[in-house]
Amino acid sequence: MSEFSVLNTRAPRLDGPAKATGRAKYADDLTMPGMLYGAILHSPIAHGKILHIDTSKALKLKGVKAIATAKEAGIVKYGVSPARYDETLYAYEKVRYVGDEIAAVAAVDYATALEAVNLIKVDYEELPAVFDMFEAMKEGAPQLHAEFPGNLNAEVHQEFGDTDAAFAESDLVVDHTFLNKRQDAAFIEPHSCLAVFDLDGRLTLYTSTQVPHYVMRTVAMVLRIPVGNVRVVKPYVGGGFGPKCEATPLEMSAGLLSRMTGKPVKMTYTREQVFLHSRARHQFYAEMSLGVKKDGTMMALKNKAVLDGGAYTSFGIATVYYSGSLLGGPYKLKAMKYDGYRVYTNKPACGAQRGHGGVAHRAAFEQLLDMTAEKLGLDPIELRLKNIMQAGDITVNELDMSSLGMKECIEAVREGSEWDKKKGKLPKGKGIGMACGFFVSGAGYPIYRSDTYHSTVVIKISEDGGVATVLTGSAEIGQGSDTTMAMIAAETLGIPLENVKVVSGDTDLSVDLGAYSSRQTLMTGHATKEAAEQIRNKIAQFLSEELGYPVESITFRDGKVFFDGQPGNFEKIRTQYIKEHRGWTDPPSGEYLTFREAARLAFLKAGTIVGTGKYKPPRLGGSYKGAAVGTSPAYGCSAQVVEVTVDMETGEITVDNMTDAHDCGLAVNRTLVEGQMQGSLSMGLGECLFEEVKFDSRGRILNPSLGEYRIPTALDMPNVKSIIVESREPNGPYGAKEVGEGAIMPTIPAILNAIYDATGVRINELPVTSERLYLAMKKAKEQG
Amino acid sequence: MLLPKFEYHEPSTLEEALQLLSSLGGNAKVLAGGTDLLVRMKQRIDKPAHVISIARVPGLDAIIPRNGHGVTIGSAVTARELSRHELIIDRFTPLAIAASRLGAPMIRNRATIGGNLVNARPAADLPPACMVLNATVKLKSAKGERDVSVNEFFRGPGDCVIEPHELMVCLNIETPAPWSGGSYIKLGARKTLEISMVNVATLLTLEGPDGPIIDARIALGAVAPTPLRAFGAEEFLIGNKPSEELFQRAGEIGVGFCSPITDHRGTMEYRCMMIEALTKRCLMRAWENARAWKP
Amino acid sequence: MKTIISLMVNGEQVEAAVEPNKTLVQFLREDLGLTGTKHGCGLGDCGACTVIMDGKPVNSCLVLAVQAHGREVLTIEGLAENGKLHPIQQAFVDKGAIQCGFCTPGMILSAKALLAENPQPTEQEIRTAISGNLCRCTGYQKIVEAIQEAAKSIEGTEV
Repeated sequence: MSEFSVLNTRAPRLDGPAKATGRAKYADDLTMPGMLYGAILHSPIAHGKILHIDTSKALKLKGVKAIATAKEAGIVKYGVSPARYDETLYAYEKVRYVGDEIAAVAAVDYATALEAVNLIKVDYEELPAVFDMFEAMKEGAPQLHAEFPGNLNAEVHQEFGDTDAAFAESDLVVDHTFLNKRQDAAFIEPHSCLAVFDLDGRLTLYTSTQVPHYVMRTVAMVLRIPVGNVRVVKPYVGGGFGPKCEATPLEMSAGLLSRMTGKPVKMTYTREQVFLHSRARHQFYAEMSLGVKKDGTMMALKNKAVLDGGAYTSFGIATVYYSGSLLGGPYKLKAMKYDGYRVYTNKPACGAQRGHGGVAHRAAFEQLLDMTAEKLGLDPIELRLKNIMQAGDITVNELDMSSLGMKECIEAVREGSEWDKKKGKLPKGKGIGMACGFFVSGAGYPIYRSDTYHSTVVIKISEDGGVATVLTGSAEIGQGSDTTMAMIAAETLGIPLENVKVVSGDTDLSVDLGAYSSRQTLMTGHATKEAAEQIRNKIAQFLSEELGYPVESITFRDGKVFFDGQPGNFEKIRTQYIKEHRGWTDPPSGEYLTFREAARLAFLKAGTIVGTGKYKPPRLGGSYKGAAVGTSPAYGCSAQVVEVTVDMETGEITVDNMTDAHDCGLAVNRTLVEGQMQGSLSMGLGECLFEEVKFDSRGRILNPSLGEYRIPTALDMPNVKSIIVESREPNGPYGAKEVGEGAIMPTIPAILNAIYDATGVRINELPVTSERLYLAMKKAKEQG
Repeated sequence: MLLPKFEYHEPSTLEEALQLLSSLGGNAKVLAGGTDLLVRMKQRIDKPAHVISIARVPGLDAIIPRNGHGVTIGSAVTARELSRHELIIDRFTPLAIAASRLGAPMIRNRATIGGNLVNARPAADLPPACMVLNATVKLKSAKGERDVSVNEFFRGPGDCVIEPHELMVCLNIETPAPWSGGSYIKLGARKTLEISMVNVATLLTLEGPDGPIIDARIALGAVAPTPLRAFGAEEFLIGNKPSEELFQRAGEIGVGFCSPITDHRGTMEYRCMMIEALTKRCLMRAWENARAWKP
Repeated sequence: MKTIISLMVNGEQVEAAVEPNKTLVQFLREDLGLTGTKHGCGLGDCGACTVIMDGKPVNSCLVLAVQAHGREVLTIEGLAENGKLHPIQQAFVDKGAIQCGFCTPGMILSAKALLAENPQPTEQEIRTAISGNLCRCTGYQKIVEAIQEAAKSIEGTEV
């Protein structure tokens, strides 16, 4: 008999048929009678004072029902982290980027709303703007926020151990710099929402979000509605990847306009507006030095990060910490020093995107490791194996690797890719490269300072039929969290998966911080498990009372009940059940008592059977400033090997294949885990080779479209050999931990290392377009 | 994204279409596949008061072989049809390849050769292929018709010789001589859905399978305000035995004809270098196809 | 000024009065309530709005509703019959080819059009057929595997 009856299988996801048939409703698919349509006025200039807003002409347009500006919205500062509430719903004194929201209109149809937006007249006094993060830090640069002189949004200085001493002991110090570009999450579904402010003063907001809970709080705060009167409901969501992790001006505008008009208001971003809103990956500049012994032992890392944050903070305060903290593992270091700077510029705000602040610096570091290996004459894999941590180790910045299948991942990709047969033996123009990475399995602390539970879950058993409904505020955004929770509930209750339903993404159901920092499998999973255990214990208790068996002897599996592993004598329960169901054609039968009957008994004894579960991580991390960011109850890790072919005459890069091993603790659903791995690799490939948001000299985005902001197509992405490693995380439910973001960490550096192997040229600036590589190869050739 | 308002006309005969163009001309745009026009209208780059669809005009969507001497291609023939048509693949290879590389499948199902030519985008896929095939386009108006060589068709970005009251109805291409072969290469960032950074079409005619080059045509796109023929490079090739070194030299000459810009897709310097490399490569492929010519 | 259009949608005759500047995707979603066809970009860059028109997959955001007059349109809602999933839909469900699901209707329809004319496609042909459908979630691999699976289960019969 296998260890699990439901977990670790390839059960088809619960919402597959709905999505495959077009029945699944996303936010823009929703309509309500009397619905109005909203549109937003964005600033056309990058920096300026607002002198006057005239909405009079727009208000007179037939079909316009309401217009909101800072006057109607009021001035309530908000943001993601309370430590940096630096934005308001509408700009009221200044606009700080092309795209900054100034007003919103609700009208009878979308065309009218757009026409009205064009009729709003705003007088600006244009101010000089700054678009480069280094320029922005200089003396005399235009200042975006009076409270943050030098445009320094956040500054981090951390040192763990004695880096000077460790460098002094090193035999070799290798330096490296790296620059990526601002990216966009490019989910295929643009943000969309439908706000219904009804007659009893309650707001229901249907919205494409990853975080109903945070949206509820922010909307309540900004629109000054009592928080108990705000309900956020997440319909199906077409991808999130980070930028949908915060309340948007779209959501707040829809809520406000609904209140002003007394009608439901639908608002959807155009693709261009998705780019203007951004809240996606920052541009990072990395400067690093690694000190090692000549046998490859890592000693010290000095790491600097400068982040281009755009005009507001968004998630950025966490981002700038992650660029440092996420290099504390998975290798042993004696000392680490980190200095990070997040800088304001007159561009859309950057936030969290898959892998958050870890991605760019991990790419830089894994390149640095390859450079170090080369200088030492070591195989890149050997260098890593020599230094990796093991389960139970604590990083120099006090992160606890309670489980860490790093060695298994490296060995899996080494073998799976036939590394030893290929490394050093491929012809010119073909290359093989590898890299590692790790990531949190849920942030140790919520975004707002609080003792709140990170997840609560309620499970209700149907009064008849033995069906479990899992009620959770968690967000299914495509990653498969609903199916994961259903499987955990089914496994714990001992019932088949088809007898579990999930209702999710609704703040009325429970508290859940949402789908970010790869937290739901571990945290919501724990709460789900606890709720199911509670129910199981209750039912076992009633069975014990009814039949006389000791509670500890009663177990459940596959929808059956076992008494010390035996069928037991349960005749009277069955008889009563059948009596209650005269006429039914499917009476319970068979050797064993069914869960259906047991649950019915419990109901008859005590009324509706409900279980509640809750989870918050224990107090984690050190006591130093910023220690919270990077803490997590568990860490996922991964290793990748990538093979590339470079067209030496044009610089074009083809990724031929990828081998990926990820330690997810325990794969609740193997297919879903592979899906997350493959999707992460595809985003990593795109960011490495194609993706860049480009601006003109006036701060306007040059490529706000999916035609010119290029994500990989089916012809760009190769097949991925996905290998699941299961280290059985002690802090995870059934040993499970993350996969959603950790898997992207090694991708960019593995490709870069493969390109180096193919061409002898090290590219440390993204994206590696054919032009960038070609010109680098040409320069290398000229320099001999 | 919303389209601006416009008046829609769907003539059911060619005469009707030409009459409409006569009267509405400057205020109208012709709608064929819509994959360019509707995009530009949504972006408010074009805001025609009238849109004239040619969907119901008969006779514009056929590929008609002309007894082994050539082919007539209706202006409403789609890229998809061109990419799959046996005659086009066999005898007019650059056009079949270019059509197969245009956009992506859904776009190819709608985009027409007429539209691709008339829109006159410097980076368009079909013009260079049409140019090396010496295609002529037939322009009709209510008052008459004229034939224009594709090599004289383009005037600047978005600008070609077609008058507002004219409609392109077809292209005529003569079958290349025996021992001819051609190809098309496109350089973009991704492997599909791309607007070219540089594109090249070539056609070579040999004097027999191992003979010297007796005719050479090279057309370059996305590297000047219009697609252009690299006549100097062509002249250089004629009379010589084909070889990689020869084609390399031709590529170097071709660069001299180009004035690529630096834009957010790529710099001028890189485009010039790529003209060299891709011209050579495209000539190699044309040579391979020419040697494999079958009657 | 509105024009009356008459077309077949998912096998049913439909008649409506539409403005010329209404796109087919708008008509399907707003007038007919067929929200299975998605709107991702409006410019033909993403393929989320793919429908099959007269047997060929097209970006419905770049087709005017008036251009669909007299034509046959198949949307994702027209695939399952009597509550039974089409083999391609079933394969997508079985192979884990669906994550967020937003690209799924377009992907399935592109696959349907492919298999209708090429029942035994190579992997490269599959990837080319879906090359105009962007997916940010899956990396395409399980989608390709699902289409391969569907090809096997359909095996040349009329789809």
